Amino acid sequence: MNDLALAVPAEATRHSGPAEERRVLPRTPDLLHSAGFRFAMVYAVLLALSAAALALYLWWATAGLLDRQTEAAIRADAQGLSERWNEGGLPALVITIRERLEQNVDDDAIYLLVDPDMQQITGNLRSWPDPVRRPDVLYELAVVRAGAPTLAQVQRYDLPGGYHLLIGRDVQGRAKLRQLLTDALLWGLIVVAVMALAGAFIVRSLFRRTLANVSATAAAISAGDFSRRVRVSGRGDEFDQLAETINDMLDRIGRLMEGVREVSNAIAHDLRTPITRARTRLEDAALHATTPDALHAAIERATDDLDGIVAVFHALLRISEIEAGSRRSAFTRVDLGAILADTAELYEPVAEEKGLHLAVEVPGGLAVTGDPDMLRQAVTNLTDNAVKFSPSGGIVRLFAAAVPAGVEIAVQDEGPGIPPEDLARATERFFRGEAARSTPGSGLGLALVQAVAHLHGGTLRLDALDPGLRATLCLPAGG
Amino acid sequence: MLVERTLARCATLGMLLASVPFALSAAGDGPPVVVTTDTPEYCHRLIDRISELIESVSQPPPVTVSSLSSEGQRLCDEGHTRPGILRLRRALMLLEQETQSP
Repeated sequence: MNDLALAVPAEATRHSGPAEERRVLPRTPDLLHSAGFRFAMVYAVLLALSAAALALYLWWATAGLLDRQTEAAIRADAQGLSERWNEGGLPALVITIRERLEQNVDDDAIYLLVDPDMQQITGNLRSWPDPVRRPDVLYELAVVRAGAPTLAQVQRYDLPGGYHLLIGRDVQGRAKLRQLLTDALLWGLIVVAVMALAGAFIVRSLFRRTLANVSATAAAISAGDFSRRVRVSGRGDEFDQLAETINDMLDRIGRLMEGVREVSNAIAHDLRTPITRARTRLEDAALHATTPDALHAAIERATDDLDGIVAVFHALLRISEIEAGSRRSAFTRVDLGAILADTAELYEPVAEEKGLHLAVEVPGGLAVTGDPDMLRQAVTNLTDNAVKFSPSGGIVRLFAAAVPAGVEIAVQDEGPGIPPEDLARATERFFRGEAARSTPGSGLGLALVQAVAHLHGGTLRLDALDPGLRATLCLPAGG
Repeated sequence: MLVERTLARCATLGMLLASVPFALSAAGDGPPVVVTTDTPEYCHRLIDRISELIESVSQPPPVTVSSLSSEGQRLCDEGHTRPGILRLRRALMLLEQETQSP
């Protein structure tokens, strides 16, 4: 007889042995498949790319600027010499080149003017450098100055009459600066790469530590410890939000499982009596019924008991179906006036028999979006309670009204009502107050009405009157 | 996976772009060429030029010109041709500016 009381979900109390623990603990991924490693590499690559982009820009802005300045100086020089050639021909060009060499206080100018046979006419180079063959190309040339090797950038210009002009600049200083800058940037990139790897390691450690917290909690819950929760650091970041969401989910699961346990216990407790009574009656009839009529009567009473049990299971299944939300697909516009009128018409004979007056007050055109069957069931349950608990000669009122928040459907009676201390528990499954002990019922009526209210996004409010009770179903107008 | 591929492509493109500045100018191979304006002969040529200019004007040269000229000559005589040539060039430039000014 106590089997039902033990019918709680097996998952909630499963005790895991070593084999179970080995099965539920997550397998640690290898390095390349680790999400933490990938995040760390993303960080490292982004940092390295950013540093490389910055280094590239700095190089372009400094060493590149120096190169562009040299090129511009050579072009400007060429332009000036070209004008002198146009003005005075070869003699003027020769004089100009000599003057420019004499006035070259920067000590970086290089000129060479040769005839069609590549023989020097003037300039500060002894002979034409072999590698310089094409015009409009900037050549880097190794030159010797006062016995020391140095670097120059030169460009060839071909003049009319087969003459050739070489204009250049000593870029040794600039080359040293460029080399210095390049070395500094390369070392800088190496330092950045080391820092990127260190940062990646730190990122991966942080990532793993945070996820380890969630993973360990999930593993403990899988092993059966439902009291565990994910630790919240208090920083309010995305990981804390995830932890809080998971904890909320675990709390809800815990409440649902507790609810299932309570329902199972309630079912076992409240159905044990009618099942026992039906069994006793049948057993008694089998042993002591002497006539077919007595046996038939015992069977009928037992059948009534079993019908009551079936009704209870039917109500429980209905409540479960409502709470699962599967009925939302049947939502449509529901005329509340029709539902209240139909319910009043259904209970009119019962009310008349008890000497009650049923009053229905519904403004025309009042409607909500919902499940018509569910709403009709809810109103029926409320009316059934009101009629059942109202004394003879009383009034049971069914009314509905539009309110700013939506629509309210109320059933009000003049019965004993519900004591204030029981109001909060009145919608629990199988709860029955003292005043209801002597009347038939399973204690599921208000639980079903509340489930219907929640399905429609509304609430059930119970107000104790003096005397009586008003049960109000508050629904949003849109459903 | 998409993020990793994108980063790999960016890294490759970055390395390609980084190599561009080093490929713009052509390198000239071959024996180094000697610059002839770093020699004692050029020093003397500049000294002669300065003397010519001084003789061509009626007034004595500015003190700066004389100072630079003598200093440059001394450096060239001591074997420091490039610093000496530098000073002689400055002296020559100042002298030409003097001779050209009204």
